[in-house]
Amino acid sequence: MADIAAPNSAVATRGRNSLHKLVQRKSTVAFLMALPLILLITILVAYPAGYAVWLSMLNKSMTKFVGFGNFQFLFKRETFWEIVAQSCLFALTAVLFKAMIGFVVAHFVNNIPTKGQRKWRGMLLVPWVIPAAMSTLSWLWLFDPSYSAFNWIFAHIGLPKISWLGEAGWARFSVILVNVWAGAPFFLIMYLAALKSVPEQLYEAASIDGATWWQRIWYVTLPMMRNIIAITILFSTIVTFANFDIVRVLTSGGPLTATHVFATWAFKVGIESGDIPLGATVSLFMVPILAVAATFILRDISKRGSEV
Amino acid sequence: MVSRKVSRRRFVASTAALSTAAVAAPFVRGAYAAGKLSVGFWDHWVPNANGATETLIKEWGEKEKVEVQIDFITSQGNKLLLTTAAEGQAKSGHDILAQNTFLPARYAEVLVPMNDVMDDLIKENGKVNATVEYLGKVGGKWLGIPATVGSQIKGPCSRLDYMKQFAGLDIKAMYPAGEAPKADNWTFDTFLKAAEACHKGGHPFGIGLGTTSDNVDTIGAVFHAFGAVLVNEKGDIVLKNDQVRQALDFYKKLMAFLPPDVAAWDDASNNKFLVSGQASMIMNPPSAWAVAKRDAPQVAEQCWTHGFPAGPKGRYAPFLPFFWCTWSFSKNQSAAKSLLRHLSTRDSAEKMVNASGGYDLPSFEKFTTFKVWAEAEPPKGTLYHYPNPYNHQILSVAAAPAPHKIAEQIYNQGIQTQMAVRYFKGEPLEKTLDWASGEIEGFMRN
Amino acid sequence: MANAAIATAGAPTRPARYGSISQSRRWALRWSYFFLTLFAIFFLMPPFYMLVTALKSKEEIAAITNPWWVYSPTLSNFIELLTQNQYLIFFRNSALVSICVVVVTMLISVIAAFSLARMKFWGSAALATGVFLTYLIPDTLLFIPLFKMMTFVRETTGIELVNHWWTLCIIYPTLTVPFCTWIMIGYFASIPKELDEAALIDGATWMQTLTKIFIPVALPGIIAATIFCFTVSWAQFLYPLAFTTSTTELVLPVGIVTTLIKGDVFNWGQIMAGALLGAAPPLIIYAFLMDYYIAGLTAGATKG
Repeated sequence: MADIAAPNSAVATRGRNSLHKLVQRKSTVAFLMALPLILLITILVAYPAGYAVWLSMLNKSMTKFVGFGNFQFLFKRETFWEIVAQSCLFALTAVLFKAMIGFVVAHFVNNIPTKGQRKWRGMLLVPWVIPAAMSTLSWLWLFDPSYSAFNWIFAHIGLPKISWLGEAGWARFSVILVNVWAGAPFFLIMYLAALKSVPEQLYEAASIDGATWWQRIWYVTLPMMRNIIAITILFSTIVTFANFDIVRVLTSGGPLTATHVFATWAFKVGIESGDIPLGATVSLFMVPILAVAATFILRDISKRGSEV
Repeated sequence: MVSRKVSRRRFVASTAALSTAAVAAPFVRGAYAAGKLSVGFWDHWVPNANGATETLIKEWGEKEKVEVQIDFITSQGNKLLLTTAAEGQAKSGHDILAQNTFLPARYAEVLVPMNDVMDDLIKENGKVNATVEYLGKVGGKWLGIPATVGSQIKGPCSRLDYMKQFAGLDIKAMYPAGEAPKADNWTFDTFLKAAEACHKGGHPFGIGLGTTSDNVDTIGAVFHAFGAVLVNEKGDIVLKNDQVRQALDFYKKLMAFLPPDVAAWDDASNNKFLVSGQASMIMNPPSAWAVAKRDAPQVAEQCWTHGFPAGPKGRYAPFLPFFWCTWSFSKNQSAAKSLLRHLSTRDSAEKMVNASGGYDLPSFEKFTTFKVWAEAEPPKGTLYHYPNPYNHQILSVAAAPAPHKIAEQIYNQGIQTQMAVRYFKGEPLEKTLDWASGEIEGFMRN
Repeated sequence: MANAAIATAGAPTRPARYGSISQSRRWALRWSYFFLTLFAIFFLMPPFYMLVTALKSKEEIAAITNPWWVYSPTLSNFIELLTQNQYLIFFRNSALVSICVVVVTMLISVIAAFSLARMKFWGSAALATGVFLTYLIPDTLLFIPLFKMMTFVRETTGIELVNHWWTLCIIYPTLTVPFCTWIMIGYFASIPKELDEAALIDGATWMQTLTKIFIPVALPGIIAATIFCFTVSWAQFLYPLAFTTSTTELVLPVGIVTTLIKGDVFNWGQIMAGALLGAAPPLIIYAFLMDYYIAGLTAGATKG
């Protein structure tokens, strides 16, 4: 490839004319190459997203335009506000713990000799690789009211039985726990990569200045990782907020409606109870959160754009 | 083993050589029907119970030279419900589809009237109970044939040993095999005392209060026994009445003696509770006993299925019928009706019941005395009283007599169990009633 | 699924050791191992429990012996599953869907990424951003309108989209294409401009430039994107739950959750065996290609 990589000026001048044509044609070719992508996004993402808005303004049998009628209906439901609160609680707590565990464990992995790191990293990433619906099944079985393996341990060390999925508080705890379990490895891997990119000299300089480990984290690690922490948290917030698999398999929203989040409730209302417009309305409530996250991420993207 | 083709030969118009041949219309082979019939039946929980249905259909298919495609569709994860909804919307699908409880009424407008078949069947096999009629006959039109497969009474299944040891009740004497029940004392008071005693003994009753079918059925029967109605026939919300308050008070007392996590129970939880040896009683058809027989025989030996306790307004038990329905857009309605007749003979019904180990319960009056119930063991006679042979209990369904559209939502969302749980968790009674009233108002949307 | 790859580049490889091992450092190391072991137990407990349960017989499960140990291991759960037509159908559907989706996604996204990263046209920058934003629209927002759109397609054209596994091949790319395109744009952007300019001047077409130069150079990125794409398609749960109903059309996650858990009769040995087998393909791929996968995921973490 060496000859290609070394153009000489003669070729460049000779090719100016054809290059011009090339550029003219280039945009057409480029557009055609991106066309499948454009079509896919327009037809299967942008259009349905807009369609959801339209659906949310129809009545149950989809025969009449009711404007914001469905929203008004929801605002009067106690259950709806409960679900708003739960979705927020669920997403915020889960993301916070995922980020913390990811950060801490990344440090531990980073502490040990390099040659052992690959093995640990491999083991710790397993929860993230198993499809969530499958791994949640094993949690479901771990939490089973009659056969719970945790309660078996508790019984042996003399602690009372816990009804993991039966009592609203514990059910919320369990759902968040499973989410943290499945999502923390992603943070771990991102933070580990970021940690490794922090220049050693900074730490050395800090040690020479007599910084404690806490000061090193606070003044060196955190500032260096600030961007990646922000990005992972934003992403994870979106994904956690829109989570469906875990809640659906683990509790289906129960007991009562104590663990429903937007997605599971939209499914219950829209698909299972056959009220498609109301279901669409419920799922649209995820949009504000997504919009906030998107704005932040967008800012970051434009930053990247100027760097490249 | 889900889809099978029966008889590949083409369907030839023929007279239906069935018990009620006279009324069976000759099948006219349509341009696209070409002697094919597709049926979607409920995927049975009892292992191998699908086999009998399959054999019966095969028999019929060979005789009538119809190629039948059989799908067994599970009700787990609302799969059957979603399939029904999809087919009803798409106006295409199975020629016969099993639909449970409130579904036929939901699709009443797009189902073929089965009055001709039902009239004959009732003449032949005896009456059906009021609940079957409420669910299956709308505006004088039979929407389907009550199916043997999957229909069930969800009565109590008790542990003989625990009930005697803790509650001092001899269940076997109250419901002796082969004899009429001697259970006049078996009332809600006795029931509550027994629940308390068994709870103290460390083996509580396993009655769920989640929003799935088993749980809703139990509370539905209790509400009926108190005469507690949420919504009346006309569709008015009348739940602020003393009967409802009494029923909720009863449940509040009862829940104190139940395992702490019952609010999250699903249809499998009570079975697991029984099979693991923890329960003194659960409310379930004999599938739990059947699993125990397979996995934990020492538990199965102590199980006895019997009748519900009586409340102030009578002795009610939940009955959950499946219906075999045909869409009005089906291309082969006469063949479908012919098959349904074949599946509804005494002989067919008995074969299905046998295959299900006694789980399935035909709706027709004359079909409650098959040998399988008398002979099921261990212990011998354990299922004798399961099919309600002495009409000892009134068979009912939760949320009746509300209009179907509202009743279905009350049932599917488990409004009654949710009310009980809310009240038990300390919510003031009137607030619970307000909440329920608000939810039900939401069901009136259209 | 939460991959935040913002910029490009490969895996970071900088060694993390520095300084001499002092007394406190040795202690830090010990504590690190201690806590790592604790976390590894937490992270690996459910898969381990799955395996233990899958190896138990029905009787052993019902008897409530030590749930964490299996006294008389048996393969009967696996054998029953694998001789069951239904489970094999789920597996086949999952495999077919995932492979289709990977192929479709890679075709669309590699070509589009090349065009967006290198060729540029009116609105291409906006499109690149748009692609990324698309990734942020969750499936939980789209499933209801998509469901309705399918009914609409059926009503107007008669093509039945609901309840066919191949429908998923059309839907899943909405989840995979945006992210894969994004990764590929990044990878392509990091390739020196001189390389393709020279090729073009030498008379290569754009397509040749892509296949001869860009694809080979960006191969690690392509592998990472492929793995990502496969994992996402294999694990997707909501769309198949909403769009497929017949047992012959189900994919693994939904098949296991809806058919193995039978309301009244439960068979946890088989459910766990089924879940374990269902988790196997991504686990195996991951075991062999872990480094590519991680490189793809963390691409950009170092630049952030």
